[in-house]
Amino acid sequence: MSETMHADYLASIETIADRYGRNPDFLIPMMQDVQTAFGYLPRDALEGLADLLGIPPSQCFSVATFYKSFSLVPRGRHTITVCLGTVCYLKGGREIAETIERELEVKAGGTSRDGLFTYEPVNCLGACALAPVVVVDSEYYDHVKLRDLPRILKKYREADRKGQ
Amino acid sequence: MGETVTLTIDGRETQAKVGETLLQVARRMGAAIPTLCYHPAVSPYGACRLCLVEVKVRGRTRLVTSCCYPIREGLEAFTQSDRVLKARRGVMRLLLARAPESPELRKLAESMGITDPQLPSVTKGKRDCILCGLCVSVCNEVMGAAAISFSYRGVERVVTAPFEQSSPACLACGACAAVCPVGSVVLEYDGETVTVEPFGNRRPALRCRECGALIGGKGMGERVAQQLSGRLTQAVDLCAECKRKISAQAICQAGTAVVAWPALPEGVTER
Ligand code: SF4
Ligand code: FES
Ligand code: FES
Repeated sequence: MSETMHADYLASIETIADRYGRNPDFLIPMMQDVQTAFGYLPRDALEGLADLLGIPPSQCFSVATFYKSFSLVPRGRHTITVCLGTVCYLKGGREIAETIERELEVKAGGTSRDGLFTYEPVNCLGACALAPVVVVDSEYYDHVKLRDLPRILKKYREADRKGQ
Repeated sequence: MGETVTLTIDGRETQAKVGETLLQVARRMGAAIPTLCYHPAVSPYGACRLCLVEVKVRGRTRLVTSCCYPIREGLEAFTQSDRVLKARRGVMRLLLARAPESPELRKLAESMGITDPQLPSVTKGKRDCILCGLCVSVCNEVMGAAAISFSYRGVERVVTAPFEQSSPACLACGACAAVCPVGSVVLEYDGETVTVEPFGNRRPALRCRECGALIGGKGMGERVAQQLSGRLTQAVDLCAECKRKISAQAICQAGTAVVAWPALPEGVTER
């Protein structure tokens, strides 16, 4: 990591830590903010944060690995969640998951090579009446059929192309 | 000060101070309660569940972990009831599944009456750890290094160095190895390096300045020296053997039985 990169890191981490008065009791919200800022929890950022708060880095690592919502590796710009709960599974969730894995060339928890999608299968989203369910970021797609998938993926790919 | 309360353990009445745990009081009375994650040097954590006892609360009995159960007036506890012994054996079977190879654990299991040749083994896991947390606590609370911690969760839970890479905070003091009840932590010396496994903490090794024997990590030596003063600091980089020798020489030279090292500071006891 270059020096300038490091200065950038430090500045943004300081801003985040100051937001919570550098109080280690707020470690989790601070880490959430770090993740929002960087898209994941870079090791340098976590070590910098620990240093600012006067806590051991081992504590940050412990928290980061405990919660599913934290990621220590870069994540895609969109998270695509496929429900594999009993109902969704029976109503075609498995095929949807397989198609996405093939299409994006990812395994569970993985990120597509273009950095666009992180794929996460889950067990029941509590919306079984809408099965099978696919969620992208916070948008729900219900009664999804295999033939709907290209349209869904395309939507985010295009939005992303326009956004750049 | 401390308020005194009266409680009954296995039918015998006794007095104890508020703030004491049921385990402390029961052991003082001679009750045999097996423990794995309890160590007087660190705060109780209640991880291994082996210290189960039965307590009577409002006419109903229930099982609690005695190592972290605070006593109070009128408490009634049973440490050897059938229910307790059965529950402990159940817990022990689960622990054995995690660390089936540990001779320490097998010995304890035997003493509890578990002799079935067929031991369960659910985790061909990463390594033999019962996740008692003693190494984590001793590193954090006693050494102040916090070089290891619990990581991940559920079946993936494991004790690691941060980012699963050698931690610069590790003193290679060996406290983790000393407290591990199943003998899973070891210090491996390789030339001038000592590695604390399975955490993979590689640190510069400390040698006895007299005989050259390897006696832990340099970091530990520095930390200990910081906390001692005067002539005591001279004993930091000596192995136990050489310490004794030098001490004996000093006594002989003085011609009388003087103590070679000054008295221990207040509050510190010799083990
Ligand atoms: S390595 Fe040993 S001391 Fe540390 S948690 Fe595992 S069993 Fe306990
Ligand atoms: S099984 Fe998919 S929402 Fe319940
Ligand atoms: S000794 Fe009480 S739970 Fe381990």
